[in-house]
Amino acid sequence: MTARETVLTWILLLAGFFGAWSLAAATLPVPSYVLPPPSAVLSASRDLIVKGILPTYVAESVRRMVTAALVAFAIGVPVGVALGMSRRLAEFAFPILNFFQSVSGIAWLPLMLVWFGFGERTILVAVNYTVVFPVALSALLGVRSVPRIYVNGLRTLGASRWRIARDVILPGALPNIATGMRLGLAYGWRALIAAEMLVGAHGLGFMIFSAQNFHLTARIMLGMVVIGALWLVLDYFVLRPLEQATIERWGLIQR
Amino acid sequence: MRRRLGSLVRGVAPFVVLVAAWAALTRSGLVAEIFLPPPEAVARTGWEMARDGSLWTNIVASLGRVLVGLVVSVPLAIGFGVLVGLSRRLATVLEPVASFFNALSGIAWLPLAMTWFGLGWGSVTFIMLNTVFFLVFFNTLVGVRTVPRVFEHALRTLGGSRRHLIVQVLIPGAMPSIVAGIRMSIGFGWRALIAAEMIATSTGLGFLIFNAQNFHQTDTILAGIITIGVLWLATDRLLLQPLERWTVERWGLVSS
Repeated sequence: MTARETVLTWILLLAGFFGAWSLAAATLPVPSYVLPPPSAVLSASRDLIVKGILPTYVAESVRRMVTAALVAFAIGVPVGVALGMSRRLAEFAFPILNFFQSVSGIAWLPLMLVWFGFGERTILVAVNYTVVFPVALSALLGVRSVPRIYVNGLRTLGASRWRIARDVILPGALPNIATGMRLGLAYGWRALIAAEMLVGAHGLGFMIFSAQNFHLTARIMLGMVVIGALWLVLDYFVLRPLEQATIERWGLIQR
Repeated sequence: MRRRLGSLVRGVAPFVVLVAAWAALTRSGLVAEIFLPPPEAVARTGWEMARDGSLWTNIVASLGRVLVGLVVSVPLAIGFGVLVGLSRRLATVLEPVASFFNALSGIAWLPLAMTWFGLGWGSVTFIMLNTVFFLVFFNTLVGVRTVPRVFEHALRTLGGSRRHLIVQVLIPGAMPSIVAGIRMSIGFGWRALIAAEMIATSTGLGFLIFNAQNFHQTDTILAGIITIGVLWLATDRLLLQPLERWTVERWGLVSS
């Protein structure tokens, strides 16, 4: 299929989709808040952008995500790598990390609400928690997956412990770490949206949740599109290239 | 037998240490009991909830939603995925659409679901259905497209019909990817479900812990959290991982 055909198919598909949606919204015997027409979503978005609500909320959610993720990387990677350095320690830590990873940050949210109250800190901690465990776990597994023979090779050549960590273990673990970051962020982004709904302090999750109270369905749909699009942009332009690059550069493909 | 016992001990020992540390922390007086109740209080609360049946009701409600999500969405998603995968053109176009809905799947649908279905069973189940459907659909599509065309041509040359193609080449070829998708979808779905139960219904483990928060019952919250973690680990370890390993062994296309 040529590029032109692809574009053409896309245009047809989108036209068909929006046509069907408009038709359904116009003819189905349901109140307009159940299924607002595409034009309503468009005008809602213009409205929200002009008033500056959407940009503010997007900035708020992105800021939270970035803050929580950076803290999570700064904790998760060193801790995971350190635990992975010793086989015994790794065997001990793995089940615990795995358990905490499998309880999502949102499940901790009620407890965090008791600890930190309804506010910014609860959201940040919940998202941070959600991101940190996949990152630490994959860093640990990454370090363990480095073949012993490389470590021994460097050691026989007289390298120090630090040198081995820097030149063998860390690069060897990077592909795993990148994968863990991607998974962690995927969980974290959803946790953020959920936490914003539950805690209710600005952000995209709060925007779509509060819109539901007032039956502003067009606003909900707009929020959903923004949430999905932001994640896709992050995934396609940052996370996937990063994962691909680390795998190509440092991936240990064993034959 | 001895090795299994050894690995069991190694698996349990870390948690023994963790609980001991937790008990020591609560006894040290550094944190108030209302913020972090001691392990024995959580165990007692868990035991009471198990005895009066409220724990089981909520577990059944949550797991029931997971089951409904799987039973309805998995066949639908596989069906659509294979159908779309049949046409290369459609597949190229719909793949980004599917990944958009994947990016959106889960809790972001909740406000819309509540508008459509109100509070209660409908909205929460919809979240589960939605999450499972798009992840499995996407993975089926990707799986079908990775089946080498040479198998397709071989079957065609031998006079196989389109039905043969689907049943004997595409679905088995896509199986490892489909099963990986199912496993992932339960992971994402379970998280979304807990969050949705906190907001939109009055049964299920998510509701249990969120409701307890209103009364500062941290022991109930912790008992709920532990139940959620144990349920997921058990499902993943006893059901999903073996299933995934088995399909990869049975149908995995290991190209040499």
